[in-house]
Amino acid sequence: MSLLDELSARQIASGVQAGEFSAEEVCRASLDAIASRDAELHACLQVLEELALAKARELDRDRAAGRALPPLAGVPLAVKDNMNLIGSRTTCGSRMLEDYESPYTATCVQRMLDAGCLPIAKTNMDEFAFGSSTETSHFGKTANPWDAERVPGGSSGGSAAAVAAGEVTLALGSDTGGSIRQPAAFCGVVGLKPTYGAVSRYGVVAFGSSLDQVGPFGRRVEDVALAMNALLGEGHDPMDATSQDCPVDFLEHLEDPVEGLRVGIIADFIDAEGLSGEVRSAVLGAAEALADQGAELVDVSLPNVADSISAYYVIGPCEAFSNLARFDGVRYGYQEPGCATLAEQSAKSRAHGFGAEAKRRQMLGAYLLSSGVYERYYHKAQKARTLITKSYERAFEEVDVLLLPSSPRTAFKFGEISDPTQMYLSDMFTISSNIAGNGSVSVPLGLGEDSGLPVAVQLQGPAFKDRRLLTFARAVERGFEAEGRVAPAFAGKGGEL
Amino acid sequence: MALSQEDVRAIADYARIGLDEEELRAMTVYMNEAVAMLQPIIDLEVEEVEPTFHPIGSLVNVMRADEPREGLRLDDALENAHATEGRSFRVPSILGGGGLS
Repeated sequence: MSLLDELSARQIASGVQAGEFSAEEVCRASLDAIASRDAELHACLQVLEELALAKARELDRDRAAGRALPPLAGVPLAVKDNMNLIGSRTTCGSRMLEDYESPYTATCVQRMLDAGCLPIAKTNMDEFAFGSSTETSHFGKTANPWDAERVPGGSSGGSAAAVAAGEVTLALGSDTGGSIRQPAAFCGVVGLKPTYGAVSRYGVVAFGSSLDQVGPFGRRVEDVALAMNALLGEGHDPMDATSQDCPVDFLEHLEDPVEGLRVGIIADFIDAEGLSGEVRSAVLGAAEALADQGAELVDVSLPNVADSISAYYVIGPCEAFSNLARFDGVRYGYQEPGCATLAEQSAKSRAHGFGAEAKRRQMLGAYLLSSGVYERYYHKAQKARTLITKSYERAFEEVDVLLLPSSPRTAFKFGEISDPTQMYLSDMFTISSNIAGNGSVSVPLGLGEDSGLPVAVQLQGPAFKDRRLLTFARAVERGFEAEGRVAPAFAGKGGEL
Repeated sequence: MALSQEDVRAIADYARIGLDEEELRAMTVYMNEAVAMLQPIIDLEVEEVEPTFHPIGSLVNVMRADEPREGLRLDDALENAHATEGRSFRVPSILGGGGLS
C-alpha cells in the first residue's frame, strides 16, 4: 500500500504501465484524497468523477489489450476553471458563467488527456483570473494548504492548492501577470509560465490575449517537465494562430549541470522596497545553491522594467475590456430576466453577472481605450513594452537566466489586502515577463525563516528557452528539501493506493 | 485630471455595466486611484520608440490553409443560450417596445 501523494508523475505512469496498480485505482485514490481534504481546502469547483473514471478505465483496457500506454498514463490532473472540457462547466469563478457547459475541449486540456492524464477536477480561481488571492471567486475562497487562514495566491489558487495538498499530481493554470508563479510560491509548488506562444490558448477563456499563457503546476520539476512534453509535443495548434511549433523533450537536459552557466542577479529587485527579509534571504540562498553547483553569478540591470506594472495595468484592462465585451447574456452567461430592451438586458446582466473586480478592470479598460485617452496610455504602454523587451534581450546577451523573487512576501491572510491597487503590487516581480513574453518558473525553497510559510525563487529565461529554464529549476530543487512535499496538514489524509 | 462621477457614469454606459449610486461612488474612487497609478506611463519619453503590440512580434502568425472544415455544431452553439428560436438566439426588443423580438 502506498500513498498517492508520495508518488511522482513518472512513478504513477510507470506503476500503471507495469500493472503495480490500475489507472482506476489511482483515480479512486485521487477522488478519495479530494473527499478527505477538499472540504477544508475548497480548491475544487467540480469533481469530475465520471469523466476521470471513464478515462482511467480506457487506459486499463488499453493495457489489458497489450497496448503501450502514454507517458502520463493515470496521472491525476486538475484544470483551472477557465479551460473548456466537454462534460464539465467552465465557470471562470464567476456568476456570469455559473451554468456554462463547455461546448468543446481546450487544446491544452486535450493534450494532457492524450498523454494519459485523468481529468479529476476543475479548480477555483479569481473571477475571470482578475486577482492574486482567489478571493474574488464567486464560489468562495480557497485556503492555503500551509495555513488555512491565508490565501493560496491567485488567480490560479485552486490549481496550486490542489497540488500542494496532494489531491492531484499535476494541475494546469493560466498566467497573465503572475497567476501561475505567485500561487505556486504561496503554496510551495513548482509553477511554470512558458514563453507566450509555446502553449495553445484555444479553449481557454481569454483575459489579456497578448499576455495569457497556460502552464503546469507540480510538486517536482520533473513532473512539470513531463507536463510540458504533453503540452508542446504535437507542436503548433492550428486552432491558435499565435501557437508556435516548438516541441522539445523537456526531460532530455533536465539533469544537466549548470556549471559555467551565468545567472543574472538584479540588484533593483533584491533590494526592492516591499520585499520581505525572509524572501530576500531565501532568494539569495537559491543563488548560492546555483553558485555551489558551479554557476557564475553576474550582476545585471533591467532598465525600464520598473514600468512593467503601470504598462500591465494599461494593457491588461484594455484587453480584458475587449475580451469580456462578449458577455452580454444573449449567447451564454447570466441573463437578467424581465428586461424590456436589449440594452437594458445587457447592462443588467453584466452588472449582476460580474463581481466587483471584474467590473473595475473592465471600467478601467473602457476608459483607457476611449478617444483622446488611448494615445496617452495604451499606445505609450505598448512603447514601454518595446523598451522592457529590449531590456530583457540585452540582459540575456550576458546571462543564461535571471534569478529574482516570485512574490515580495509569503502568503497573506484573507482580507489583509483590501485595496485593489495595493493587491496589484503582489505581481511586482512577475508581470514583466508577461509584458515581454519570455518564460518564467517559480521554484519552492522550503519554509521562510520568519513566517514558516513557503518561500520561492523565480527564474526567468529568454523566449523559447523554457527547457533550459527547467534545467536551472532542477538545479535549484537539488539544493533544497521542498521536492515532492505535500503540506503536512493534508499529507496522507485519504488517497491510499 | 480627476474623473468625476458623471465621467464614470458615462464610461459605465459605454461599457454596458449598470452601476447603482453606491457602486458609482466607489468606482469613481477606484478609477482615480488606478489612473494615478498609471502616471509612469504618461511620464515616459518614448517618442522615437516603436510600439510592440504583441510579445512575439518578431515571429509571424502561423496560418492554416483556407479550406472548409467542420466547426462548432449548431446545437452546441445554442446550448448555453437562455432563449433561442430555430437557428437563432432570441433577444428583447432592440429599439424598445418590450417583449422578445
